[in-house]
Amino acid sequence: MPITPPSLQREQTGLTPVCRGVQHRQGRLHRAIAGAVLLSAVSSAASAYTATLTAASPKTIYLQVGVGSFTADYIDGGQPGKNTTVNTVSATIAANVLGSGTAQAMTTNSTATQSYWDGYTYCTVPAQLYIGGFYRTTGAATAAASVTATVPTSLTDATGDSIPFSQIQWTSSGNGDTGAEPFPAGTFVHGGVQNVGSMASNTWNESCWNFSYSNNTVPPAGTYTGVVLYTMSSP
Amino acid sequence: MNSVGRPAFFLAWALSIIWTQAVQAKSVTIDDSGTQALEPAVAMHWKTAVPTRSQAGALMIGTTTIRVRINVLPWLHHSGRIYLALPAQQPGSIGLSWTTQGRFLPGQLQSGNRVLVYSGPIAAPFMEDTLTFQFSVNGALMGRTVPVTYHFEMDED
Repeated sequence: MPITPPSLQREQTGLTPVCRGVQHRQGRLHRAIAGAVLLSAVSSAASAYTATLTAASPKTIYLQVGVGSFTADYIDGGQPGKNTTVNTVSATIAANVLGSGTAQAMTTNSTATQSYWDGYTYCTVPAQLYIGGFYRTTGAATAAASVTATVPTSLTDATGDSIPFSQIQWTSSGNGDTGAEPFPAGTFVHGGVQNVGSMASNTWNESCWNFSYSNNTVPPAGTYTGVVLYTMSSP
Repeated sequence: MNSVGRPAFFLAWALSIIWTQAVQAKSVTIDDSGTQALEPAVAMHWKTAVPTRSQAGALMIGTTTIRVRINVLPWLHHSGRIYLALPAQQPGSIGLSWTTQGRFLPGQLQSGNRVLVYSGPIAAPFMEDTLTFQFSVNGALMGRTVPVTYHFEMDED
Protein backbone atom coordinates (compact mmCIF):
# COMPACT_ATOMS: atom_id res chain seq x y z
CA MET A 1 0.00 0.00 0.00
CA PRO A 2 1.48 3.30 -0.97
CA ILE A 3 2.08 5.71 1.86
CA THR A 4 2.87 9.27 1.00
CA PRO A 5 4.44 11.11 3.90
CA PRO A 6 2.31 14.11 4.75
CA SER A 7 3.82 17.37 5.76
CA LEU A 8 3.00 20.60 7.44
CA GLN A 9 3.80 23.70 5.50
CA ARG A 10 3.84 27.29 6.54
CA GLU A 11 2.76 30.12 4.34
CA GLN A 12 5.45 32.75 4.24
CA THR A 13 4.27 36.22 5.06
CA GLY A 14 7.58 37.98 4.61
CA LEU A 15 6.81 40.26 7.55
CA THR A 16 7.94 40.16 11.15
CA PRO A 17 5.34 40.33 13.89
CA VAL A 18 6.57 43.75 14.94
CA CYS A 19 6.13 45.13 11.44
CA ARG A 20 2.62 43.81 11.32
CA GLY A 21 1.77 45.44 14.61
CA VAL A 22 2.94 48.80 13.40
CA GLN A 23 0.98 48.47 10.21
CA HIS A 24 -2.11 47.65 12.13
CA ARG A 25 -1.92 50.74 14.32
CA GLN A 26 -1.19 53.00 11.40
CA GLY A 27 -4.19 51.60 9.67
CA ARG A 28 -6.42 52.54 12.56
CA LEU A 29 -5.23 56.13 12.51
CA HIS A 30 -5.91 56.53 8.83
CA ARG A 31 -8.94 54.31 8.48
CA ALA A 32 -11.17 57.04 7.15
CA ILE A 33 -8.96 58.02 4.26
CA ALA A 34 -7.13 54.84 3.45
CA GLY A 35 -9.55 52.02 4.14
CA ALA A 36 -8.80 50.14 0.96
CA VAL A 37 -5.05 50.34 1.49
CA LEU A 38 -5.40 49.14 5.09
CA LEU A 39 -7.38 46.08 4.11
CA SER A 40 -4.75 45.18 1.59
CA ALA A 41 -1.94 45.50 4.12
CA VAL A 42 -3.69 43.38 6.75
CA SER A 43 -4.44 40.75 4.20
CA SER A 44 -0.81 40.42 3.18
CA ALA A 45 0.14 39.97 6.83
CA ALA A 46 -2.18 36.98 7.21
CA SER A 47 -0.54 33.91 8.62
CA ALA A 48 -1.89 30.39 8.37
CA TYR A 49 -0.86 26.78 8.54
CA THR A 50 -1.47 24.19 5.90
CA ALA A 51 -1.59 20.64 7.19
CA THR A 52 -1.38 17.99 4.53
CA LEU A 53 -3.52 14.98 5.36
CA THR A 54 -2.58 11.71 3.75
CA ALA A 55 -4.31 8.34 4.00
CA ALA A 56 -1.80 6.09 5.79
CA SER A 57 -3.52 2.75 5.29
CA PRO A 58 -6.23 3.32 2.76
CA LYS A 59 -7.09 -0.20 1.63
CA THR A 60 -8.38 -3.20 3.53
CA ILE A 61 -10.39 -6.18 2.32
CA TYR A 62 -11.99 -9.00 4.29
CA LEU A 63 -13.90 -12.00 2.95
CA GLN A 64 -15.41 -14.75 5.05
CA VAL A 65 -17.00 -17.87 3.54
CA GLY A 66 -18.06 -20.19 6.34
CA VAL A 67 -16.18 -19.55 9.54
CA GLY A 68 -13.96 -16.48 9.93
CA SER A 69 -11.95 -14.71 12.59
CA PHE A 70 -12.49 -11.48 14.45
CA THR A 71 -11.01 -10.52 17.79
CA ALA A 72 -14.51 -9.42 18.84
CA ASP A 73 -17.61 -8.06 17.21
CA TYR A 74 -16.89 -4.94 15.23
CA ILE A 75 -19.11 -2.77 17.40
CA ASP A 76 -17.01 -3.86 20.38
CA GLY A 77 -13.79 -2.85 18.69
CA GLY A 78 -13.11 -6.15 16.94
CA GLN A 79 -10.40 -6.48 14.33
CA PRO A 80 -10.51 -8.93 11.42
CA GLY A 81 -8.12 -11.87 11.35
CA LYS A 82 -7.10 -14.79 9.11
CA ASN A 83 -8.83 -18.16 9.25
CA THR A 84 -7.63 -20.98 7.01
CA THR A 85 -10.53 -23.35 7.68
CA VAL A 86 -12.12 -24.90 4.58
CA ASN A 87 -15.77 -25.67 5.29
CA THR A 88 -17.79 -28.27 3.46
CA VAL A 89 -21.32 -28.35 2.12
CA SER A 90 -22.72 -31.84 1.52
CA ALA A 91 -25.76 -33.99 0.95
CA THR A 92 -26.33 -37.71 1.33
CA ILE A 93 -28.81 -38.93 -1.24
CA ALA A 94 -30.88 -41.97 -0.38
CA ALA A 95 -31.14 -44.60 -3.07
CA ASN A 96 -34.91 -44.35 -3.26
CA VAL A 97 -34.83 -40.65 -4.24
CA LEU A 98 -31.69 -40.68 -6.37
CA GLY A 99 -32.33 -39.06 -9.73
CA SER A 100 -35.91 -38.16 -8.85
CA GLY A 101 -35.49 -34.58 -9.97
CA THR A 102 -36.42 -33.31 -6.54
CA ALA A 103 -33.67 -31.04 -5.32
CA GLN A 104 -31.94 -32.23 -2.19
CA ALA A 105 -30.96 -29.74 0.48
CA MET A 106 -27.30 -29.62 1.41
CA THR A 107 -25.89 -28.81 4.81
CA THR A 108 -22.64 -27.31 5.98
CA ASN A 109 -20.17 -28.09 8.71
CA SER A 110 -19.65 -24.34 9.19
CA THR A 111 -20.57 -23.08 12.65
CA ALA A 112 -20.76 -19.44 11.58
CA THR A 113 -24.17 -18.10 12.50
CA GLN A 114 -23.45 -14.65 13.90
CA SER A 115 -22.39 -11.58 12.03
CA TYR A 116 -19.06 -10.28 13.23
CA TRP A 117 -20.43 -6.82 12.66
CA ASP A 118 -22.69 -6.82 15.71
CA GLY A 119 -23.06 -10.40 16.89
CA TYR A 120 -26.53 -10.70 15.39
CA THR A 121 -27.56 -14.29 14.65
CA TYR A 122 -27.82 -13.91 10.92
CA CYS A 123 -27.52 -17.44 9.50
CA THR A 124 -28.87 -20.82 10.60
CA VAL A 125 -26.61 -23.87 10.60
CA PRO A 126 -26.29 -26.46 9.30
CA ALA A 127 -28.68 -25.30 6.59
CA GLN A 128 -26.89 -22.06 5.69
CA LEU A 129 -23.38 -21.03 4.82
CA TYR A 130 -22.34 -17.52 5.88
CA ILE A 131 -20.61 -15.31 3.33
CA GLY A 132 -19.65 -11.73 4.14
CA GLY A 133 -16.96 -9.12 4.34
CA PHE A 134 -16.02 -5.57 3.55
CA TYR A 135 -13.83 -3.48 1.31
CA ARG A 136 -12.19 -0.35 2.64
CA THR A 137 -10.77 2.26 0.29
CA THR A 138 -10.45 6.00 -0.07
CA GLY A 139 -11.65 8.27 -2.81
CA ALA A 140 -15.01 8.97 -4.37
CA ALA A 141 -16.86 6.97 -7.02
CA THR A 142 -14.91 3.84 -6.31
CA ALA A 143 -15.98 0.70 -8.13
CA ALA A 144 -17.21 -2.20 -6.03
CA ALA A 145 -15.01 -5.12 -5.10
CA SER A 146 -16.07 -8.37 -6.73
CA VAL A 147 -16.28 -11.87 -5.31
CA THR A 148 -15.81 -14.75 -7.72
CA ALA A 149 -15.97 -18.53 -7.46
CA THR A 150 -13.48 -20.70 -9.30
CA VAL A 151 -15.43 -23.85 -10.01
CA PRO A 152 -14.12 -27.20 -11.28
CA THR A 153 -16.05 -28.94 -14.01
CA SER A 154 -17.24 -31.76 -11.79
CA LEU A 155 -17.25 -33.37 -8.41
CA THR A 156 -15.45 -36.70 -8.63
CA ASP A 157 -15.20 -39.89 -6.63
CA ALA A 158 -12.29 -42.26 -6.03
CA THR A 159 -12.97 -44.27 -9.15
CA GLY A 160 -13.18 -41.31 -11.48
CA ASP A 161 -16.94 -40.99 -11.72
CA SER A 162 -18.23 -37.44 -11.81
CA ILE A 163 -21.19 -35.18 -11.16
CA PRO A 164 -21.28 -31.78 -12.89
CA PHE A 165 -20.87 -28.86 -10.51
CA SER A 166 -23.75 -27.24 -12.36
CA GLN A 167 -26.01 -29.65 -10.46
CA ILE A 168 -25.52 -27.47 -7.38
CA GLN A 169 -27.31 -24.18 -6.78
CA TRP A 170 -28.02 -21.89 -3.88
CA THR A 171 -30.58 -19.42 -2.60
CA SER A 172 -29.65 -16.34 -0.58
CA SER A 173 -31.21 -14.71 2.47
CA GLY A 174 -30.45 -13.66 6.02
CA ASN A 175 -32.41 -13.41 9.24
CA GLY A 176 -34.37 -10.18 9.22
CA ASP A 177 -33.20 -9.23 5.74
CA THR A 178 -35.27 -7.37 3.21
CA GLY A 179 -34.26 -6.30 -0.26
CA ALA A 180 -31.53 -7.55 -2.51
CA GLU A 181 -28.71 -9.66 -1.15
CA PRO A 182 -25.12 -8.63 -1.83
CA PHE A 183 -24.41 -12.30 -2.64
CA PRO A 184 -27.51 -13.38 -4.59
CA ALA A 185 -28.83 -16.81 -5.51
CA GLY A 186 -27.10 -18.71 -8.28
CA THR A 187 -26.00 -21.97 -9.82
CA PHE A 188 -22.44 -23.14 -10.24
CA VAL A 189 -21.08 -23.01 -13.76
CA HIS A 190 -19.85 -26.20 -15.42
CA GLY A 191 -16.25 -25.31 -14.74
CA GLY A 192 -14.86 -21.80 -14.80
CA VAL A 193 -14.88 -18.55 -12.87
CA GLN A 194 -18.19 -16.91 -12.05
CA ASN A 195 -19.17 -13.77 -10.19
CA VAL A 196 -21.11 -14.47 -7.00
CA GLY A 197 -21.45 -10.97 -5.53
CA SER A 198 -19.94 -7.58 -4.98
CA MET A 199 -19.20 -5.16 -2.16
CA ALA A 200 -19.55 -1.41 -2.43
CA SER A 201 -16.63 0.39 -0.86
CA ASN A 202 -16.75 1.06 2.88
CA THR A 203 -19.78 -1.08 3.55
CA TRP A 204 -20.30 -4.34 5.39
CA ASN A 205 -21.94 -7.01 3.23
CA GLU A 206 -23.25 -10.45 4.18
CA SER A 207 -25.66 -13.19 3.08
CA CYS A 208 -26.58 -16.72 4.04
CA TRP A 209 -26.59 -19.38 1.34
CA ASN A 210 -28.78 -22.49 1.22
CA PHE A 211 -27.21 -25.01 -1.16
CA SER A 212 -29.07 -27.80 -2.89
CA TYR A 213 -28.30 -30.61 -5.30
CA SER A 214 -30.53 -30.81 -8.41
CA ASN A 215 -30.67 -34.61 -8.28
CA ASN A 216 -31.80 -35.20 -11.84
CA THR A 217 -29.16 -37.78 -12.79
CA VAL A 218 -28.26 -41.21 -11.46
CA PRO A 219 -24.51 -41.35 -10.94
CA PRO A 220 -22.78 -44.47 -9.61
CA ALA A 221 -22.78 -44.80 -5.84
CA GLY A 222 -19.84 -43.08 -4.23
CA THR A 223 -18.55 -40.06 -2.40
CA TYR A 224 -18.13 -37.16 -4.79
CA THR A 225 -16.08 -34.15 -3.80
CA GLY A 226 -14.88 -30.92 -5.31
CA VAL A 227 -13.45 -27.65 -4.08
CA VAL A 228 -14.70 -24.19 -5.00
CA LEU A 229 -12.35 -21.30 -4.38
CA TYR A 230 -13.85 -17.91 -3.53
CA THR A 231 -11.79 -14.85 -4.39
CA MET A 232 -12.35 -11.20 -3.55
CA SER A 233 -10.82 -8.64 -5.87
CA SER A 234 -10.72 -4.90 -5.21
CA PRO A 235 -10.25 -2.25 -7.90
CA MET B 1 -42.46 53.41 -12.23
CA ASN B 2 -38.71 53.09 -12.47
CA SER B 3 -37.98 56.73 -11.82
CA VAL B 4 -39.94 56.51 -8.56
CA GLY B 5 -38.57 53.18 -7.38
CA ARG B 6 -34.85 53.70 -7.84
CA PRO B 7 -34.19 56.40 -5.22
CA ALA B 8 -36.10 54.42 -2.62
CA PHE B 9 -34.08 51.28 -3.32
CA PHE B 10 -30.78 53.17 -3.18
CA LEU B 11 -31.67 54.70 0.17
CA ALA B 12 -32.49 51.33 1.69
CA TRP B 13 -29.25 49.84 0.42
CA ALA B 14 -27.15 52.68 1.83
CA LEU B 15 -28.77 52.44 5.24
CA SER B 16 -28.15 48.74 5.32
CA ILE B 17 -24.43 49.19 4.74
CA ILE B 18 -24.12 51.79 7.44
CA TRP B 19 -25.93 49.64 9.95
CA THR B 20 -23.76 46.61 9.22
CA GLN B 21 -20.52 48.48 9.74
CA ALA B 22 -21.74 49.89 13.00
CA VAL B 23 -22.34 46.53 14.70
CA GLN B 24 -19.84 44.08 13.17
CA ALA B 25 -16.49 43.51 14.82
CA LYS B 26 -13.48 43.46 12.59
CA SER B 27 -11.54 40.21 12.39
CA VAL B 28 -7.80 40.29 11.86
CA THR B 29 -5.69 37.25 11.16
CA ILE B 30 -3.07 36.91 13.88
CA ASP B 31 0.58 36.43 13.09
CA ASP B 32 1.43 32.87 14.15
CA SER B 33 4.85 32.65 12.56
CA GLY B 34 6.24 31.44 15.89
CA THR B 35 4.07 28.35 15.79
CA GLN B 36 5.71 24.98 15.34
CA ALA B 37 4.36 21.56 14.39
CA LEU B 38 5.83 18.92 16.70
CA GLU B 39 5.14 16.20 14.14
CA PRO B 40 5.61 16.95 10.48
CA ALA B 41 2.94 14.47 9.44
CA VAL B 42 -0.80 14.02 9.68
CA ALA B 43 -1.35 10.38 8.82
CA MET B 44 -5.02 9.61 8.36
CA HIS B 45 -6.37 6.25 9.51
CA TRP B 46 -9.80 4.72 9.38
CA LYS B 47 -11.66 5.66 12.54
CA THR B 48 -12.84 2.07 12.74
CA ALA B 49 -11.09 -0.92 11.23
CA VAL B 50 -14.36 -2.24 9.90
CA PRO B 51 -17.00 -0.22 8.07
CA THR B 52 -20.61 0.02 9.10
CA ARG B 53 -23.40 -1.44 6.98
CA SER B 54 -23.75 1.92 5.27
CA GLN B 55 -21.07 4.29 4.04
CA ALA B 56 -21.39 6.27 7.25
CA GLY B 57 -18.44 4.25 8.50
CA ALA B 58 -16.00 5.81 6.09
CA LEU B 59 -14.53 8.41 8.43
CA MET B 60 -10.76 8.84 8.61
CA ILE B 61 -8.99 10.60 11.45
CA GLY B 62 -5.48 11.89 12.02
CA THR B 63 -3.74 13.59 14.92
CA THR B 64 -0.94 16.09 15.15
CA THR B 65 0.46 18.33 17.87
CA ILE B 66 1.05 22.04 17.36
CA ARG B 67 3.01 24.35 19.64
CA VAL B 68 1.11 27.56 19.08
CA ARG B 69 2.79 30.92 19.55
CA ILE B 70 0.79 33.86 18.30
CA ASN B 71 1.83 37.48 18.22
CA VAL B 72 -0.77 39.60 19.97
CA LEU B 73 1.46 42.66 20.42
CA PRO B 74 -0.92 44.87 18.43
CA TRP B 75 -3.58 44.28 21.08
CA LEU B 76 -1.35 44.45 24.16
CA HIS B 77 -3.10 45.83 27.25
CA HIS B 78 -6.48 45.53 25.58
CA SER B 79 -9.12 42.85 25.76
CA GLY B 80 -9.63 40.59 22.83
CA ARG B 81 -11.42 37.54 21.50
CA ILE B 82 -9.31 35.03 19.64
CA TYR B 83 -10.81 32.43 17.33
CA LEU B 84 -9.46 29.37 15.62
CA ALA B 85 -10.79 29.46 12.07
CA LEU B 86 -10.99 26.58 9.62
CA PRO B 87 -12.11 28.10 6.32
CA ALA B 88 -14.34 26.22 3.93
CA GLN B 89 -12.01 24.55 1.46
CA GLN B 90 -11.62 21.68 -0.94
CA PRO B 91 -12.21 18.81 -1.11
CA GLY B 92 -15.20 19.21 1.25
CA SER B 93 -16.28 19.08 4.86
CA ILE B 94 -13.39 18.71 7.29
CA GLY B 95 -13.75 18.27 11.02
CA LEU B 96 -11.24 19.53 13.55
CA SER B 97 -11.21 19.00 17.29
CA TRP B 98 -8.44 19.94 19.66
CA THR B 99 -7.29 19.78 23.23
CA THR B 100 -5.05 22.35 24.88
CA GLN B 101 -2.76 22.79 27.85
CA GLY B 102 -5.03 25.45 29.29
CA ARG B 103 -4.02 28.75 27.77
CA PHE B 104 -6.60 28.37 25.03
CA LEU B 105 -9.97 26.69 25.15
CA PRO B 106 -10.46 23.21 23.69
CA GLY B 107 -13.10 22.82 21.05
CA GLN B 108 -14.22 21.45 17.75
CA LEU B 109 -15.54 22.80 14.49
CA GLN B 110 -16.35 21.97 10.91
CA SER B 111 -14.70 23.72 8.00
CA GLY B 112 -16.33 27.03 7.16
CA ASN B 113 -16.55 28.02 10.81
CA ARG B 114 -14.51 29.40 13.65
CA VAL B 115 -14.58 28.81 17.40
CA LEU B 116 -13.57 31.04 20.30
CA VAL B 117 -10.36 29.88 21.96
CA TYR B 118 -9.63 32.91 24.15
CA SER B 119 -11.48 35.90 25.50
CA GLY B 120 -9.97 38.34 27.93
CA PRO B 121 -7.13 40.75 28.48
CA ILE B 122 -4.02 40.62 26.34
CA ALA B 123 -1.31 40.90 28.96
CA ALA B 124 1.75 39.79 27.00
CA PRO B 125 2.94 40.27 23.44
CA PHE B 126 2.80 36.53 22.72
CA MET B 127 0.37 33.81 23.71
CA GLU B 128 1.49 30.20 23.72
CA ASP B 129 -0.11 26.79 24.15
CA THR B 130 0.29 23.26 22.88
CA LEU B 131 -2.68 22.01 20.94
CA THR B 132 -3.38 18.45 19.91
CA PHE B 133 -5.37 18.54 16.70
CA GLN B 134 -7.51 15.72 15.41
CA PHE B 135 -8.68 16.08 11.84
CA SER B 136 -11.59 14.00 10.55
CA VAL B 137 -12.43 13.60 6.87
CA ASN B 138 -14.69 11.26 4.97
CA GLY B 139 -12.56 8.64 3.26
CA ALA B 140 -14.38 9.37 0.03
CA LEU B 141 -12.55 12.72 0.00
CA MET B 142 -9.15 11.17 0.65
CA GLY B 143 -8.38 9.86 -2.81
CA ARG B 144 -5.34 12.12 -2.75
CA THR B 145 -3.46 14.15 -0.16
CA VAL B 146 -5.59 16.90 1.31
CA PRO B 147 -4.04 20.26 2.30
CA VAL B 148 -5.98 21.87 5.13
CA THR B 149 -5.46 25.53 6.04
CA TYR B 150 -6.38 27.06 9.38
CA HIS B 151 -5.47 30.23 11.26
CA PHE B 152 -6.11 32.28 14.37
CA GLU B 153 -7.93 35.56 14.19
CA MET B 154 -8.67 38.42 16.58
CA ASP B 155 -11.98 40.21 16.77
CA GLU B 156 -11.63 43.91 17.29
CA ASP B 157 -14.54 45.80 18.75
